[in-house]
Formats: sequence, C-alpha cells, structure tokens
Amino acid sequence: MPSLISQSQRGPVNQVDKRRLVIVGAGMAGSKLAHDLQQACGHLYQITLIGEEPHVGYNRIMLSSLLAKEISHADMALVDTQKMQADGVQILSSDPVLSLDLEAKTLHLSSGQAIAYDQLVLATGSRASLLPIKGASASNVMGFRTWQDVDDMTQLTGSQSICVIGGGLLGLEAAVGLVKRGHKVVVFHRAQYLLNRQLDEESASLLQTRLEQMGIAFRLGESPESFAQADDGRVSHVVCQNGEQLAVNLIVMAAGISPEITLGKAAGLATNRAIVVDGQMQTSHPDVYALGECCEFEHQTFGLVAPIWTQINVLMKVLVGEKAAFAIEPTPTKLKVSGVHLFSVGRIQPSDEDSCIFFKDVGAHHYRKLVVNDGLLVGAILYGNVADGSWYFQLIQNKTNVSDVLDLLVFGEAYCRAKVA
Amino acid sequence: MSVANRTSMSVKTTCPYCGVGCGVNLIDAQSENEGVPSVSGDVDHPANFGRLCVKGSSLAQTIQSDDRLLTPMVDGQPVTWQSAIDAVSTKIAQVVKDHGPDAFAFYLSGQILTEDYYVANKLAKGFIGTANVDTNSRLCMASAVVGYKRAFGSDTVPCNYEDLECCDLLIMVGSNAAWTHPILYQRIVAAKKQRPSMRVVVIDPRETATCDIADLHLAIKPGSDAAIFSFLLSDSAQAGILDHDFIASHTNGFASALAQANESTPCVSFTANFCGISEQSLTSLFGWWRDTPKTVTFYSQGVNQSSSGVDKCNAIINCHLATGRIGKQGAGPFSITGQPNAMGGREVGGLANQLAAHMDFATPGAQDLVQRFWQAPNMATENGLKAVDLFQAMEKGKVKVVWIMSTNPMVSLPDTAQVRRALEKCELVIVSDCKAHTDTTAMADVLFPATGWSEKDGTVTNSERRISRQRGLLSAPGDAKHDWWAICEVAKSLGFQAAFSYQGAHDIFAEHAALSAFENEGKRDFDIGHFSRITKAEYDALVPVQWPVPEGRPQGTKRMFEDKRFFTPDGRARFVAIVPSLPKVQASQEWPFTLNTGRVRDQWHTMTRTGDAASLAKHTAQPYVEIHPREAKRLGIQDKSLVRLTSPYGEVLLKAKLSRAVAPGNVFVAIHWTQQFANASVVSNLIPQVVDPLSGQPESKHAQVQLEAVSDICYGMIISATPLVLADCLYWCQVPSTQGYHYEVVWPNRQTQASLRAMDTEHPHGKVGKTQWLEYSNPITQQIRLAKLVNQTLTLLMYLHPQPDSVMADWLLSTLTMNTPLSAQDRLAILVGMPANIEEKGDIVCSCYQVGSKQIEKAIVNGISSVDGLGAKLKCGTNCGSCLPELKRFLPTVTELSA
Repeated sequence: MPSLISQSQRGPVNQVDKRRLVIVGAGMAGSKLAHDLQQACGHLYQITLIGEEPHVGYNRIMLSSLLAKEISHADMALVDTQKMQADGVQILSSDPVLSLDLEAKTLHLSSGQAIAYDQLVLATGSRASLLPIKGASASNVMGFRTWQDVDDMTQLTGSQSICVIGGGLLGLEAAVGLVKRGHKVVVFHRAQYLLNRQLDEESASLLQTRLEQMGIAFRLGESPESFAQADDGRVSHVVCQNGEQLAVNLIVMAAGISPEITLGKAAGLATNRAIVVDGQMQTSHPDVYALGECCEFEHQTFGLVAPIWTQINVLMKVLVGEKAAFAIEPTPTKLKVSGVHLFSVGRIQPSDEDSCIFFKDVGAHHYRKLVVNDGLLVGAILYGNVADGSWYFQLIQNKTNVSDVLDLLVFGEAYCRAKVA
Repeated sequence: MSVANRTSMSVKTTCPYCGVGCGVNLIDAQSENEGVPSVSGDVDHPANFGRLCVKGSSLAQTIQSDDRLLTPMVDGQPVTWQSAIDAVSTKIAQVVKDHGPDAFAFYLSGQILTEDYYVANKLAKGFIGTANVDTNSRLCMASAVVGYKRAFGSDTVPCNYEDLECCDLLIMVGSNAAWTHPILYQRIVAAKKQRPSMRVVVIDPRETATCDIADLHLAIKPGSDAAIFSFLLSDSAQAGILDHDFIASHTNGFASALAQANESTPCVSFTANFCGISEQSLTSLFGWWRDTPKTVTFYSQGVNQSSSGVDKCNAIINCHLATGRIGKQGAGPFSITGQPNAMGGREVGGLANQLAAHMDFATPGAQDLVQRFWQAPNMATENGLKAVDLFQAMEKGKVKVVWIMSTNPMVSLPDTAQVRRALEKCELVIVSDCKAHTDTTAMADVLFPATGWSEKDGTVTNSERRISRQRGLLSAPGDAKHDWWAICEVAKSLGFQAAFSYQGAHDIFAEHAALSAFENEGKRDFDIGHFSRITKAEYDALVPVQWPVPEGRPQGTKRMFEDKRFFTPDGRARFVAIVPSLPKVQASQEWPFTLNTGRVRDQWHTMTRTGDAASLAKHTAQPYVEIHPREAKRLGIQDKSLVRLTSPYGEVLLKAKLSRAVAPGNVFVAIHWTQQFANASVVSNLIPQVVDPLSGQPESKHAQVQLEAVSDICYGMIISATPLVLADCLYWCQVPSTQGYHYEVVWPNRQTQASLRAMDTEHPHGKVGKTQWLEYSNPITQQIRLAKLVNQTLTLLMYLHPQPDSVMADWLLSTLTMNTPLSAQDRLAILVGMPANIEEKGDIVCSCYQVGSKQIEKAIVNGISSVDGLGAKLKCGTNCGSCLPELKRFLPTVTELSA
C-alpha cells in the first residue's frame, strides 16, 4: 500500500490551508495550467503536475520545427519548469498515472506513489490513431506526438525510406521535417486532396505542388493495404491497394489523433469520444475537471492550441470562484512548415446559402477563398500570403458586417481600411 | 525626331483648336534627351495674353503621334508624291473633260491655313472652273456669315474681344463658351469679377458650365431662340429705346421687320410659351436689355446649327441695329467661330457660295475682277454645292472626284450612312491628312500626307478678325508636305504652272492680300492691301493684327462700323423681317426625345488631335448621352449604363450620364467620338440632313430619337500592352492613354461566357509556359477580373462587372510598362485596380492638375468650403480655370450630403 503523501506533510508550513490541485498530464495544456495557476493563485493551491513523458512543459507545436532542424532543444520550452518548481509546483515526470479513485480522491502512479487531491484536472491529451492495418504494431511504426518521437526520428542516419500515413497537418509537418533531414518520404492520404479539413481542392493542389518540389511524394485517395513485415518483425514494405510494394525503413502514423481517456473512463467519468465537460470544464464528477485534447465539449474535441488556452483561462477563473464559461469559436489553422504559408479558418466548405470570393494567382502560389454569408465572413482559406489571416479571423469572430467592402475584402485589410478612411 | 531636324528653338504660333485663336509659344526641347517640345501661352498675343486652356496646354502631348500619315498612298499602296500627283491630276483632267468641272470638288476645313485655302479656292474657281469648294466651316458658322451679309452686305464681324469685357450686359446665345472657348470665357469671368455690375444672360436649352456666371439662364425649348429676339425688337420699340436717328440714317427695312416682330411675338406670354420658359425670366431679360446700351450678344453653334440659323442671326442683329448697339465699344452682335481658321476660309472665299476675298458670284463685276486678277482660264460662274448638297450630289454620281482636306466628314456631317454611300460611290476620293487612320481616311483612294500643327507655316484669322501667324518649328516627318504645296503641285500637273508657282507661303499671302485690295477702293470690307508686297522676312515677323489692314493703315481695325457705313450698295444696314420657327423635325410618339449635340470640355472636334493627349481623356473618357434622371428612371436607365439611341437614320450606343442640366424630353450627346475611338458612338448617324435654306448649314444640334436601355450585357474594362481587335464586343471605346491600350467594353452576356471559356481553353491550368493568369471572382457583386502576365509582366487585364463601373485605370496602365516583374503587392493590386496606398481620385475634374471628384469631395468633407480653398489645398482650378464651374457645383452638393 503506497503511502499517502499529503500537502501538510510536504508543503511549507504557511501553505497548510492550501487546497491540493493535481494535474494529470504534463503536455502543453497541463503544464501551462500549472504555470499560470501558480502565478495567479499559488497562494490558494498546492499544485502537482504529473506527466508520463520525461520532458515536461515543452511546446509540442514546435516538434515539427525541431524535426526540421529549424530550432534547437533550447527553443522547446513552453514554461520554465525550474522556476515553477522553485515557486512550489511539484512536478512528477516519467510517471504515468495508472488509476484514479474518484471516491478516495486519489491517484495511483506507475512509480507506486499515491497522490491525494482536493481537485483534479485531467489533461491527458491524445495519442496518434493507429489504423487497423496489418503490421501496424511493428517496432518501426511510430507516431509523431512526443519529443521522444522526434528524438527517435533524429537518430535515423543516412537516407531512409519513410512512409507517412496521413496528409493532415501533423503528417505533412512530419513529412517535411523528415525530407529536410534527407530522407525519402511518401505520404499516403485517404482523402482526394491534402489537408482536406482545412483546405479546398485548389489550395491543396498549390500546397501539394510546393511539397512535391521539396521532394515529398504523395499517394492521394489511398490507404496502405498492409505493412509487410520482415523476419525481424520490422515492416519492410508498404503494400499498396493496387498490389504495388514500397520498400520502407520507417512508418509514421499521422492519420488523426484519439483523445487519451483511459484513466477517466476507467474511473467512471462520463465519456463519449473524450471526457465530457461542461462550460466550466467540469467533468461528470464535481471535483474533476478536464481540458485540452482529452475533453469534449458540446460534442467537439480539440486539437488546436487556441481553444485550449481559452479553456485554461476559463478553468483558472472557475478555480478561484469567478464566473466563466467556455464557448466554441472558430480557430484558425496554420501549417508550421517553413516556406509554406497557409491559413484556414471557419466554414471553408460553403453551404448553399454561402458565396465564395476567390483570388487566384497560381503563378505566385497565392490563393484566397472567402466564404461569405449574409454580409458576414464565415470562413477563409489563404495560401501563399497569409498576412491578412488574423484580420479575417477578427472579422469572423467579431461578426463584422462586410457588405460595404465586398469588392475589396479578398484583397485584405489595407484596401478595406483605405476605403473606410 | 532628332534635334538636327529642327529649324529653331522656339516660335510664336497660334493654337490649332477653337476660334479664339490664342497665341502659343512652341519651345523645342533643349536637348535630344528631353524629348518632346513644350508649349506655353504667348503673353504678347492679344487673344489670350499668355493664358491657355487645358486643350492648348496639352498641345505638346499631341505632337508626336504614332499614327502619322508619312507617305502618299494610292489604293492602299505607298507611292512617291510624283506618282500620286500624276494619278490625281490625270483623273481630275479626265472627269472634267468627260463630265464638266462640277464633277470635281474640294471639301476643306477650318483647320487649314489661309494660304492652303487660297490656292484651293483659286484652283477650283479659276482654273478647273467649279465653285464646288466647300468646307467643314459650313457646319459651324455658315449661318452667321449669311446673317451678317444680309444685314451688313458683307461678312463682317463687328466686335472684338474687348467688347466682351467692357459691355454691361452680355447675352450668350447657344454657346457653352466655358467649355468651347475657355480663354474668352475666362476673360469674361475676370471682367465680371472686376465689375460685378456687368450682367450675363445665358440662353441655352441646357444648363451648361457657362451658366456658372449667368445672372439669368433661359433654358429655352431647343431652336426657339429667334422668338426671344423677335420680341426684344417689339419691346424695344414699345419701351422707346430705339435709336431713331441711326435707323433713319443708316438702315433700311425697319418698319417691316418691326411689323413682323409684332405679329410673330405679340406679347410676353406668347413668347414665353413659344420658348418654354417663364414670363418672369423673359421680363428680366427685357428689363436689362432696355436699361443697358452697352450690350453684346455673343452667339455660336446653338444659333447657327439650325434650319433657321440665318434668321436667328438676323433676329439678333435686328435688335442691335434698332437700338444702335453696334459699331460702339461694348456693343454688337458677335458671332464666335468654332475653328481656328474658319474666318480665314471666309476671307479667301473658300465656301461654295462665295467667290473670293469677300466677293460673291452675284457681286456685280466680281467674276470679271477675279478673273483678271488671277488671269484665270476657266472661271466658275455660279455658286457651287454646299457641304450636304455636295455629298448628296456625290451619291448621285454627279461629283466624281473629291479632295477632302484636314477634315472628317464621316463623323461631322449629318447622316453618316449617306456620307458613306457618297464616298463609296465617288470614283476618286483624295484625303489630305496628317493622321493615317480616321473614319474618313478609311474611305480614301488616295492619301496625301500633310504637315500638322507645329510644322505648318502660314496665317489664320480668329473670331475678332485678327490675323496671326501660325509658325512651324519642327520639320515635316516622312514625306509629309504642306497642303498648299500639294494643291499647287496638282495644279501644275494640270497645266497651270504659271499661276501656282509660289516661292512659299508668304508669296501666297501677298497675292491674297493683293486680291483683297484689287480695285477695292473701300467697296469691300475685307482689305489687307497693306500686305500686298510683304516679303518673307516681314511675313515671318508678322504680329497679330485685325483686318481690314488697307494700304496706309498698318495698325488694322479694332472695331467695325464705327463710321455707321455698311457694305451694302447704299451703305445702309438692312433689317430682315423674321418669323421665328422651330427645328424642322419635331417630337413624335415614335421618336419622342429631342437630341442636342455639343462638345465636352477637354476634347476638340473628332479627336484626331486631342485624342493623342491622354490627360485630356480623363475629364470625359467615354461618349455619353446626358439624360434627365426622371426620364432615365422611367426607361430603366442607370447612370453610366449602356443606352441605345435610334433615329430614322441610324443608331448609336452611349453611356448614360444622368443630369438635371438637360430638360426632361431632351438628351445631349457629345460630338467627338469617331470609330477610331468607339465602335458605335458616332452621333452624326442619328442626325437628318436638314439644312438652313439660306446658309446650307445643317441642323446638327437637332434630331428626334428613341432611347432604350441595353440589357443582358456585361461591362468590362480592358488594359492591354498591345492593341486589341474587339470584334465580339457590343460596344467598345478606346480611352487615350500614354501607356498601353485602355478599352471600356460591353459584351452581350452570352458572349462573355464564350470569351472566358475561350480563354480557359487557351490556358487550362492558369499557367502555360511563361504565361500566368491571375483571377478574382466575386459572385456576390458578380465581378470577374483576369490578368495575364508574360514573364511576370502584365500584358492584359480584364475587369468584368454586371453594372457599369469606373476603375482608376492610370495606375494599371503604368504597370503595363514596368519592366521589372510585378511585386507580390502589385499582383494583388492589379486586380483591385490600385495599390493599397494610393488615394482614389474619382473622375478627373481638373485636367491641369489631375484632381478628381473623390479628392474634392473629401477636402470638402474635411472643412474646405470655397473654390479658392480647394485651389489652395489641391491646386484644382488654379491654372486654366476651365473646371471652376464644376468645382463650384461640388460645394452645395457635398454640403447637402453632410447636412
């Protein structure tokens, strides 16, 4: 029976009355919450941050840049964990939580520790979806989620043949990073065009052209039939649906993410695709909150950072007794590949009532599509020149009536301002 | 053109545009690198004292045209002068032999010089033996000529420009001088400003820019002018302001003229009703007329271009004779001409109903006198064919050779279809022009390359009888020759060597002067005998002088009839009994709209010259029809939308310009656009060949038409690095530009789709080789804009829109010639129409400083409340001043908006 470690035993004397807040998951959501909460109300809470990865508090978004050798390890920090610890945040890394006892308000860790809490925040994130493809469990089939994954990829020497499964944001970032490291990369994408959730066919085609120029090969509208394993169990070939066999050294699965909800589900929290929360980020259990990629609000899960930062702000207010409610807002997408500028926000597949305004300059790799409904901008795709992205995002968020500038809208803020001025 | 080809560095010459005849300094570039010459106003010239209007100021832009006719052409092939002259003289000799001299005709122009006119007139009337010498001046002031001749026995303009400044009442009839004679108008404006008691009355169916200074505007029913002056005569008698002594001693016919006036316009209410104006406004005019001895009546095309133009002139002159308001400072009936040398043409007798030197065929002894002077072998003996009759005779096959010089009858004569038929029928059409491509050169069998302004050398006479030298600075390009030289060469080739071997222009002028004085002895008003023996040096040094300049009176004559002696046989002026009449063609159910024609501020005639100055196109880029907003609404016509005008003679397509300046039921169309600039906007297509029975001047200011909004169309603007053939357009207009080619177009909707599809096929993926296509499409506003780049450089740009739209084309045109690849910003900007940091100017109002409507509106919103303030801030209106009336109109309008 592991011993219960109570705040009163470990914390400073003057913190005796603090409530114990434990955050499970030291990814971006968990680390930032711990950091911000310590800053804002460290006098109220004794904060414990528990992570399964050895690295805590790094900026996961930067992994693709790290892989592409555009930044170094030193640039990876999201929060200053040393300072957090000095301020009193307890950080437990490389120690996955095995179980959660909602009745006893206790967590059991892989290390054998049991941690008691007054309030619990689940920020367990997500994992790469593993497609049910034969051979997918081989040792050279990996995801692209963690610093460790990048370290593993960094270890690869020479020019390896790598197959990336998934032409979404993550898969393309991985593919670019790997190609920049000198590897030969082929991307399988099930849909007919890349980034099909963020782009339309025309902008995707521009993107594809650009990535092909970088050396990436694409197989669109196609999923691998199977992964052929060699005697050592490693995948040696990707078997295509047409029977073609591609020799590979490594497979990177980037065909979507699955919220990591094992812990919460086993503990009996209400879950759907992810852990169900309300506008205050509260789960079905009053002392347990969830945020980030592992939570589900109004049937939506979250994979981009902006709404998650909003969730943190909401939860911080809730934890100090202020009124706050999370609401879903459109979130812009940008591809983090150097030399490729892409911006997508809102409703990009027009409904029957929507109209699309286009600017196309294929020669300059510049494309804009705006979706307008009843005088309001509701969606935008920018490719090539994304300088006006945040302005369009504002117009969408503020529900600005754009009727007077319809003929200038697609040309951006400078023209519309000039007209108004 | 290299410096070596130029003869001197600077000359004093005169402007080739309107009849004001302003002095111009033409200054050669200081070095070859500086390119084109420049112009400035001649401060010593008494017409303008240094000022120039925007057209004159822009003359330098017109000098180096890329459409010069450089070599003689026969049947489309370039030939030598000698073979062209041989071909022409052989044909003339043959038709004269076979069909008589009247099978030949000259159709001349108020733009050629007096010396050109003189030799043409001499060749036809004295040597070929036909009086078929007519001119585009027929369209301009023929009625004024006949009016003067009926009243004075001579074609004598009594007044001078100073009379306009020192009169106390100026009645401007049928003249939009603010736009057509800007410098004279500016002199009037300045005089009125200095002496606010001076009154100005404008009589015009339209509220023109000239009304800006009017104390009273009488927006009369088109063509009803004579009734006003008819009643003015009656009223003068009733009011007791007649000059009985003058009437008794120096006139004839007063009683019958007054009786007719009393009968024609018995009372104010009848007159007001006849003219469609209020009694009150008429009463104001009459009151001022009674009280103001120093009155000048200033009239122009609105009076002359009429089926009763001569009568209108005489109705005006009657009033001046009756009150003795003539031959005095600040008084007189003053006809102002439209062309730079219409007066010079009149002086040599270059009209079919004149003989020579202000003598007519009917003048006793004149034929003999002229025959002896010229030693002419084949004197014509009676009047020839006036312009409209001439082209009708041509269609009937009676005139078989026509020599058209420096004019564009395919655009300027009424009923273009008839003119086309006539020229097609004519066996030999000779056209002398400096332009290779005009609507008329297109009809020519033989083309003679003529020298143009800045090259020509000779004299012109302006509207106040002032003879000035037009001097050449630049040498002729290619094989271009002076018109007088070409005429003389043909004359010599016809066997008349002795009579046509001149040393130069001065030699011709001296002969012209000698003829004017020949056996004159004060019998004829036109006498410039002082110049009978003028040397080349004296000719080159000639300073502007007003004729008559008889022997012994070198200073000329400022004002006529100060001695109350007229050039009738008994020396008395004649009253003419006038029955006011309305235009021949009147409104009907089928043709409900009355069409009026005229000029725009910054173009002149058929744009063969002003069309070369891109800045002049900014004020009015496209041909338009001015229509009252109420009528437009009724017909579903939007501002700037395409309108079809139809008359029994043809149809035209024009952009609508909604304006309360025209009365409901009336429309106004500008005369300038030819098929070189717009495919379907030549307004003379609509005009019937109705002429004044006495002067033969066409009623070009009057037609009856129907209007119709053109629907199911798509508007477009095209900018191209190369000229385009726009055969699939319903309407196109080329807007002059300094760079590239700018077209405003209209397609039928179905055609647009086909055109775009064709383009798609040509470039399936938006990039083929070095060609790239950029596209903007907006289904909400239904805009489509396409740009074609070759090697990153813009070559073609098309903006399509369902509604008429104006795009600022200047900057787009400038991007055509950027040799560097377009920047990323510019690649966006070319589909917007402007770079993000450029202020949108709107329509250009001030051409001198290129200030636009949107800039003016903005300045006013920001607190500027006067024209002077606008000038201080934007410079608009501070140069030539011709935009001042328009600037004033911005002030109340914007105030209303912000109130």
